[in-house]
Amino acid sequence: MAVDTAPPAAAAPTTNTTNSKPTPRWRNRESLTAWLFILPSLIGFLSFTAGPVIAAGVISLLDWNLFSAPTWAGLRNFARLGPDPTFWSALGNTAYFTLVSVPLTILVSLALALLLNQGLKRVAVFRSLLLLPYATITVAVAFVWIWLYIPHDGLVNAVLGWFGISGPQWLISDTWAMPALIAMSVWKSFGFGMVVFLAGLQAIPQQLYEAARVDGTSTWQSFRNITLPMLSPALFFVIVTSIIGSFQVFDQALIMTNGGPGTRTTTLVMYIYRTGFENYDQGYAAAQSLVLFGFIVLITAAQFTMQRKLVHYDN
Amino acid sequence: MPAKLSRRSFLELTGLAGLGAAVTGCSTGPPSGAATWAMWSSSAAEKKVWEDFSQYVEQQLGVKSVPTLTPSSGYPTKLDLQLVSGTASLVTAINGTLIPTYAARGAHRPLDDLIAADPDFDLDDFYPTSRRLSSFNGKTYGIGFDVAPTVMYYNKTLLQKQGIPLPSRTEPMPWATFRDLAKQLTGDGQYGFTCAPAIDDLVSWIYCAGGNVMNDAADRSTLGEPQALEAIQFVIDLFVQDKVTPPIKNLVTESSLSNFIQGNVAFMQNGPWQVVNVRKAKFDWDVIPFPAGAAGSTPRVSGSSFAIPSGVREGAELDLAWKLLKTLTSTGALDIYAKAGRNNPARLSAGSAFKAPPDNLGIVQEILAGKIAGGHAFDVTTNWNQVKQLLGQDLPRTFLGQVSVTDAIAGLTPRLDILMRQHQDTVRQATARKG
Repeated sequence: MAVDTAPPAAAAPTTNTTNSKPTPRWRNRESLTAWLFILPSLIGFLSFTAGPVIAAGVISLLDWNLFSAPTWAGLRNFARLGPDPTFWSALGNTAYFTLVSVPLTILVSLALALLLNQGLKRVAVFRSLLLLPYATITVAVAFVWIWLYIPHDGLVNAVLGWFGISGPQWLISDTWAMPALIAMSVWKSFGFGMVVFLAGLQAIPQQLYEAARVDGTSTWQSFRNITLPMLSPALFFVIVTSIIGSFQVFDQALIMTNGGPGTRTTTLVMYIYRTGFENYDQGYAAAQSLVLFGFIVLITAAQFTMQRKLVHYDN
Repeated sequence: MPAKLSRRSFLELTGLAGLGAAVTGCSTGPPSGAATWAMWSSSAAEKKVWEDFSQYVEQQLGVKSVPTLTPSSGYPTKLDLQLVSGTASLVTAINGTLIPTYAARGAHRPLDDLIAADPDFDLDDFYPTSRRLSSFNGKTYGIGFDVAPTVMYYNKTLLQKQGIPLPSRTEPMPWATFRDLAKQLTGDGQYGFTCAPAIDDLVSWIYCAGGNVMNDAADRSTLGEPQALEAIQFVIDLFVQDKVTPPIKNLVTESSLSNFIQGNVAFMQNGPWQVVNVRKAKFDWDVIPFPAGAAGSTPRVSGSSFAIPSGVREGAELDLAWKLLKTLTSTGALDIYAKAGRNNPARLSAGSAFKAPPDNLGIVQEILAGKIAGGHAFDVTTNWNQVKQLLGQDLPRTFLGQVSVTDAIAGLTPRLDILMRQHQDTVRQATARKG
């Protein structure tokens, strides 16, 4: 929330304003209060986000095994990325995960938000229940899904069996391991988008729909021409945060498949972690982190550019 | 009547309390002069053993003992961060497979000078394999606290129910006999054998066939050589062709121990460190030597050690660290460890404390002493985590029948050779640093 520190235009002149110098804006009492409130978050951001990003930039130019003194490597760590098949495989897996999981999550979230917005009874109960997966720790959820995916006795294949479908060996299958992770991730994260969409839907003025009904528009036309444009800021927010989150996918892949079979579910963050903390190759891990950071910045920047055309704000 | 607290005062008090909590939190640490040591611990039973160790240290040294216990999965990462930040304990436990990794990077100090200067310390009381596992590049970097060969657990009840004579307690059975027996014991929800679909278990078969992951100079992978290929193929056939193993449901959570404990598996390959867990089984069981291949019964021998980080300062701190390390690996301490059934102690003089059940547990020490069967120290490199990761990517797929053994090894060998060359570079750098 922005804090307006400018004096009112029509404020009456006070006796001490004629000779004394104006108080700098940052020393204004309201500004100081604002800074005080921001300070804990700012310290956290500088210490745990900006600081490590800058440190990663420096470390990426070094050869450092954690324990011995680092030596200068220049751009050698970045040059190693090209011929490293595991890096490209991990990048491809991460892109696959993002391309499938983000649209699916948004579709499920939006569908459920629309359903909950239909004036259902006990909507708060449903909303809380549907938010539960998001509020649950990923590690716990991952272990439950491991059991669901057990090839012979797992619930997923049992349900498929009712329809005469012989389910695959999910987490140990070359083809199905990644879709299995995606399904779990969609289930885990749709609650967040649903709540954001629900808040957005409830903020849409009902007069717009009433006017549209008077004009004889269909449900689809109302959704297409009123709901979607009015919901576009929320949609934009959910897309940006989901893409950033999916590029950083780590824990579910580590627990459910450990990156396998082969490297089929090795994600970029998992590979960075292994390079840095299991192989003690901090410089190379930092170089990979910067590449990932670059990808996320580029994609987010592209989204912000597109939002000028596609996102509809009230003002 | 309570005084009214203004919002400003409330915020000020909250701020002060937060600052106080932060300062207190930051200043918490072990008292100066305490004997600090780090160890992995993943269960209440393990924690109890280390608490007993701690009491023993306090009795022997007369100083406060401060153990830092961390679940085994997170232990290496925590240790790394403590070593880097200079907050590591005076003595840290290390799995034998990681000693070359830490030693080559200068994370721990060699102990040879301390051993030579201490006439009371008898290195000969430790099993030779434990000493080998604790060394790197000709120097001793750790003092072992446990060491043991892989053995074969078997479900006596199951064999007796099937009318199959119990195997010899001392003579390793040939692979062909083992395979026949495993096939004979498979059927009706019952399985002949279980092991982890990973190099840690596969390597015992490779050693027994006369092969290895790398050559003696550790500059080239030898998994593609006939002995190693034969061993890998033998194990994969048990899984894929003979189907004598329980079906793999998940490569991450697959546990030979939990398969065996269920009571429907006849044989399990594992180390004596699982004796304490198998004691919970509701059937009669025992251990026998590992089946013999072309090179005999020479399964993996592994162990763990205590070591002193390089950051420990010369003088009083190093003096305390050495006394602590000696106490933690003394016969008295290892008696506590062995009596609790955790594993076979690394000291010969503490061996008698690791007792039955099972009846045949004594073979562990006889194997280590070379009296029956044999063993092969787990050969690792200074980048063993990377080697393990690489093998962990493609080898498990052979257990699933997704890739043939020859194709998997052909794909792995060039990448393993690169890792072996990197290992050689690291050894050279470590040698140069040593001066």
